[in-house]
Amino acid sequence: MNRVNRRFYPLLTSKQSYMSTNKQHRIDEIMDSLDGCTRAAAPDFFYTRLRARMENEASPATSGFWLLRPAFAFASMAIILLINLLVVFSQSNNNTDDAVVATETDGFQSMAAEYRLNEGNSSISYYNLNQDR
Amino acid sequence: MIEGLRKGDEAAFRYLVDTYQDRVYNTAMGIVQSAEDAEDVAQEVFIQVFRSIGAFKAESKLSTWIYRITTTRSLDLLRSRKSKKRFGFIQRLLGENNEPVQEIPDFNHPGIQLDRKENAARLFKVIGKLPENQKIAFTLHKLEDLSYQEVSDVMGTTVAAVESLMHRAKQNLRKLLENEND
Repeated sequence: MNRVNRRFYPLLTSKQSYMSTNKQHRIDEIMDSLDGCTRAAAPDFFYTRLRARMENEASPATSGFWLLRPAFAFASMAIILLINLLVVFSQSNNNTDDAVVATETDGFQSMAAEYRLNEGNSSISYYNLNQDR
Repeated sequence: MIEGLRKGDEAAFRYLVDTYQDRVYNTAMGIVQSAEDAEDVAQEVFIQVFRSIGAFKAESKLSTWIYRITTTRSLDLLRSRKSKKRFGFIQRLLGENNEPVQEIPDFNHPGIQLDRKENAARLFKVIGKLPENQKIAFTLHKLEDLSYQEVSDVMGTTVAAVESLMHRAKQNLRKLLENEND
């Protein structure tokens, strides 16, 4: 079995072994690179900038800033679109109702035409009615 | 100092910032790996401390509480950075944003000795790939020099759990470095 292994994997040489150890040594060096690291100091005028930000966030001028955010803008557009759609649909429903009303008014108009109520204007008719009295 | 902070005393707040600003900044920098983002996180931490000092119960140390806020804020920033990256990727897929992807340059921590800077940059690169808990434990222990007990207090876990996290973090880092070298 060993013979077979040697035959097919004959390349595990001392050079490779050296390379592997070298690689491990390199990784050890990288792993230890944070040893002795000193703490990073906050940048100069950190407190001044912090106070400025706090005052800026607290000021009422920026309190409505969220209104300008894209999320709010899109949500507003969606609501407006929805209202428009609702109005359109309700109008189309009203139109079907109007059609029923229209047939009724057609009936009235045909009756008015039959009795010549539309001749002249309404004020004359009213006048005539009063004269008749 | 805590009483002063609760009363909104400016001098107490200034003292708190002067005392903890380097610890907060250094921790944030180790996690977010960017000087600008670390300053941004540090500012957010102190704003949160100022606003929620009333909720602080003296059950834990003030430093532990501040470290906890720092790690949470830093992880929030990493998550938002990741989601922005994902959104940018989708935009590019849809052809809405054809700008090339900006590669994040290697991070150099200012506290690293000059002869170790190159190695440290490679280490930070693979630290960025660690799971969140391992990243926090490793950063607090290695960069902030906190003991396992202190790390466990910050993370709200046991010392044994921190030991386990550190062991797994080191194993993962070695694996990542080996794969990088291949």
